[in-house]
Amino acid sequence: MSFVSVQNLQKSYAGSTVFNDINCHIERGEFVTLLGPSGCGKSTLLRCIAGLTAVDSGKILLDGQDLVPLTPQKRGIGMVFQSYALFPNMTVEQNVAFGLRMQKVANEESRSRVLEVLQLVELQDLASRYPHQLSGGQCQRVALARSLVTRPRLLLLDEPLSALDARIRKHLREQIRNIQRELGLTTIFVTHDQEEALILSDRIFLMNQGRIVQSGDAETLYTAPADAFAAGFIGNYNLLDADSASRLLQRPVSSRLAIRPEAITLSLNGELEGLVRSHSLLGNVIRYRVEARGVELLVDVLNRSSADLHPNGQRVSLSIDPTALCEVA
Amino acid sequence: MSRAEPGSTRLYHRLVVYVLFLLLLLPLAGTLLYSLATSWSASILPSGLTIKWYLALWSDPRFLNAFGQSLLVCVGALILSVLLILPLLFVVHYHFPRLDALMNILILLPFAVPPVVSSVGLLQLYGSGPLAMVGTPWILIGCYFTVALPFMYRAITNNLQAINLRDLMDAAQLLGASTFQAAFLVVLPNLRKGLLVALLLSFSFLFGEFVFANLLVGTRYETLQVYLNNMRNSSGHFNSALVISYFLFVLVLTWAANRLNKDKS
Repeated sequence: MSFVSVQNLQKSYAGSTVFNDINCHIERGEFVTLLGPSGCGKSTLLRCIAGLTAVDSGKILLDGQDLVPLTPQKRGIGMVFQSYALFPNMTVEQNVAFGLRMQKVANEESRSRVLEVLQLVELQDLASRYPHQLSGGQCQRVALARSLVTRPRLLLLDEPLSALDARIRKHLREQIRNIQRELGLTTIFVTHDQEEALILSDRIFLMNQGRIVQSGDAETLYTAPADAFAAGFIGNYNLLDADSASRLLQRPVSSRLAIRPEAITLSLNGELEGLVRSHSLLGNVIRYRVEARGVELLVDVLNRSSADLHPNGQRVSLSIDPTALCEVA
Repeated sequence: MSRAEPGSTRLYHRLVVYVLFLLLLLPLAGTLLYSLATSWSASILPSGLTIKWYLALWSDPRFLNAFGQSLLVCVGALILSVLLILPLLFVVHYHFPRLDALMNILILLPFAVPPVVSSVGLLQLYGSGPLAMVGTPWILIGCYFTVALPFMYRAITNNLQAINLRDLMDAAQLLGASTFQAAFLVVLPNLRKGLLVALLLSFSFLFGEFVFANLLVGTRYETLQVYLNNMRNSSGHFNSALVISYFLFVLVLTWAANRLNKDKS
């Protein structure tokens, strides 16, 4: 039996359904991500698991115990919010110790546990600071420490990196992953950033309009999208309708076709003629917009040297890896 | 951050500020001087300085009584406001955020009706019958409570919106706090600034309120402003000492509140 088991969960607000019949199972120690666009229901699902939002029907089992009748205080769940939700009137140390204070843990033990988690998030030197004296990244590490100190059975992370700049986000996501692995803590992470989900997760639940449209590890989701939404949301797939796909491949194709931009290679003597319409530099990758047989394709090429750059208007040949062609519903 | 600006512009800006200050301070300085003058009638400057008007004022039992009664009514009304409005605000913002728009209209109602008109209504309603309160401090406390409502509600609402109430409450509850513990240990300390601003604003306004006090209780429960009105035919020096004393009291109170309100950092 799974450590976390969400069964037939339903939730609606004022007659509009947020999600209907959600089912998902998470194993002990797993790091899973709820990924999806804004408004798809992922944060509401997280809040339902935390007990902050009531569910209409269904079960949420944690280690065999149904959480639905329990208040948030009794669920043994830690949560990190996008807004940090640090208590402004308390120092870092007091913030982290708050949960232990509520559990009436003895002062001596509380102090040592607070120090332990502050060391884990590398903030032991800032224990006496107030939240307004910290940077965004430091605030989020305090929030993480605060949720870890009570030794929760399950850790929920609600878009914890969204408010941070790119460099800090990268550093913090590595830190979160390392801590999660070190503690073996079952974690549910909510994000709309597919890159974050692919890097961090053992498993991803891709959500759209209140449904889990696909679940699996990062590679499965990336290489075998289940439908057009998955193909459009994960990566920058070229999504072709059946007509365009037939024209491009010059063979009958009955359904929509998804082709990853990096599965197409550019050369000067390939099997398919194309014209470079535009290109943009994305750092280590150059993204070309190439027209071939009346179909516009995105092509990602590793940026090896400026000598390899194909200028706009240049005729090129394309090769498409046949194993990367993915028919989607 | 200061901006580079030509010297003449800077001088002009400073001049505007100085003139404004002068305009505001001039009547106060005149009153202060008059309250310290032995006599000041046929000369440009007072003929001499004395503190006898202050001594007379602060040794007048009627003044001390009025001062104490004003304090009592204002503090009573503010305690009532805090006790009723804080939980109300908490419930509105945490459980029924949509009600905030309605509350914003409701809290302005005390100002929609002129004090003279609402006094007449209150006199009719509480003049006789089981709730006959006219002439007692209770009607003034109740009335001042409604007057303080908009100040209290707006200042604390701004504070609540700034602290992200929902996330703080959720975080505290997930850490094991009950709703009361979360509100008392986490939310309330963070409303200190808004609460003090609200209390100060309301107190300054209520302490100087005259219309309701005069019409609803008059001399039966004399407040400071009613006392001032009743003393209008006495010495102008004496009245000036009263005005300056009143002003200094509010000033010291504001200063003390600001000191208390400073960040711990």
